[in-house]
Amino acid sequence: MLDLIPAALTLLADAGYGLASCRLSRRGHRWPRRRAACLLAGSLCVAVALLPPVASHDYLFPVHVVQHLLLGMAAPAFLALSAPVTLALRTLPRRMRRALLRGLHSPVITVLAAPATAVTLDLGGLYALYLTGLYQAAEGDSLIHAAVHLHMFLAGCLLSWALIGIDPVRRRPGTRMRLAALVIAAAGHDTLAKLMYAWTLPAGGGPATARQQGAGLMYYGGTAIDVALAVIVMTQWYLATGRALARSRRRPAAAEP
Amino acid sequence: MTTSRLARAAGDGAGKQTRRTIWSGVLAGLGLAAFADETVFHQLLHWHHFYDKSTLAVGLVSDGLFHAGGFIAMVAGLFLLADTLRRGGFVPKRWWAALLLGAGGFQLYDGIVQHKLLGLHQIRYHVTLWPYDLTWNLIAVVLIAAGAALMTGRAGIAGSAMFRSDADTAA
Repeated sequence: MLDLIPAALTLLADAGYGLASCRLSRRGHRWPRRRAACLLAGSLCVAVALLPPVASHDYLFPVHVVQHLLLGMAAPAFLALSAPVTLALRTLPRRMRRALLRGLHSPVITVLAAPATAVTLDLGGLYALYLTGLYQAAEGDSLIHAAVHLHMFLAGCLLSWALIGIDPVRRRPGTRMRLAALVIAAAGHDTLAKLMYAWTLPAGGGPATARQQGAGLMYYGGTAIDVALAVIVMTQWYLATGRALARSRRRPAAAEP
Repeated sequence: MTTSRLARAAGDGAGKQTRRTIWSGVLAGLGLAAFADETVFHQLLHWHHFYDKSTLAVGLVSDGLFHAGGFIAMVAGLFLLADTLRRGGFVPKRWWAALLLGAGGFQLYDGIVQHKLLGLHQIRYHVTLWPYDLTWNLIAVVLIAAGAALMTGRAGIAGSAMFRSDADTAA
C-alpha cells in the first residue's frame, strides 16, 4: 500500500495543475506549454523511480542509484521548471492565495529555500545514507525506506528550486551564488561517489562489484545532471541579461527625436 | 555621439568587456583541460584510473571539486563568451590568452598537486613514470607561458562594425 501513495499523490498533483492551467486559459491567459511539459517529465521521473520494475528491483545497488538520480535530481529539476507555485498564485481563490503567500514569506520557508540550507540538507542526507548504516537499515524496514525516499525527493526539490526555480520567493539568490551552490553540491556528490567506490560502501549494498558499479553510475550520472543544471542556470542568466540589454538599447533610441 | 551612447547603454566600458572576456577564457580553459583529462586519459586511453589505492581522502575532495567544477566552468565560460559577442565587446587575443592560462593552470595543478602530492592517480601505470610527469608539467608550463605572452601587448575588440568604429573614435 505504502508503495502506491507517491504515485497517487503525483497523479493528484498533476490533475490539480491541469485544472488550474485550464482555468487560466478560460480567463484568456495562456500558461506556457513547456512548463506543463516539465511537470509531466518530472512526474514521469517520480513514477519510473517508485513503480515496478525499478522499485521492485531496488535491492540491487545500481538500480537504487538509478532511482536516486531520478527521484532526487532529475524529477525535482523538471518540477522546479514547471512553476507550480506561480500557477497556484494565479488561480487560487483570494483567501487561499493570501495564505499561500504568507507561507512563502514565512521565515521558515525563507531559511529552507536558501541555497546553503538546501545544499546542506541534500548532501547531509546522502552522506548519512551511504556512509553510515542507514542504507542497510532502510533495506530492512519499509518505513525507513519510504522516509529516505521522501527526504531525497524533498531535499532535491529545495536544491532545484534554489538553483533553477522560477517561482517567486523572497531573496532569490543571484547567478553567482547559484553557480557556487551548484559547484559545491556537484563536488560533494562526486566526492561521495568516489568515497563509496574506494571503501566499497554502502553496507548492505550487495556484492562489492555491485556497489562499485553503483558508485560509478552515481559519479557519471550525477555529473551529467549537474552539467544540465549549469546549462539551465546560465540560459536563465543569458535570457535575463538579454532582455535588460534590449531595454537599455531601446531607451536612448526612443529619446532621440 | 549616437554610437557612443549606444555603446554605453550596451552596458559597459571597454575595461569591463575585457574583464568579462578574460573570465570567459579562464573558465573555458579550466573546463577544457578538465574535459580533455576526463575523455582522453580516463575514457579513451584508460591510462588514468578511476580510483587509486594510494589516494588521500583530501585528494578525492579535490578531484570531486575539479571534476564537477571543470564542467560547470566550461558551461559558464561559453555563456560568458556568447554574452561578450552579443555586446560586441569580445577581445579575441585576451580570450585565447585567458584560455591558455586557465588550461595550463589546471594542468599544472593536476600534475603537481593532484598526481604527486595527493596521490590521486598516476598518469600511467606499469611504466617508468618520470618522463610522463615531466612531459605533463612541461606542457602546462608552455601553455601558461603562451597565455602570459598573449595577455600583454595591444588587443582590440572584435565586435560589430558599429562598436568598432566607436572604439576607434574614442581612442
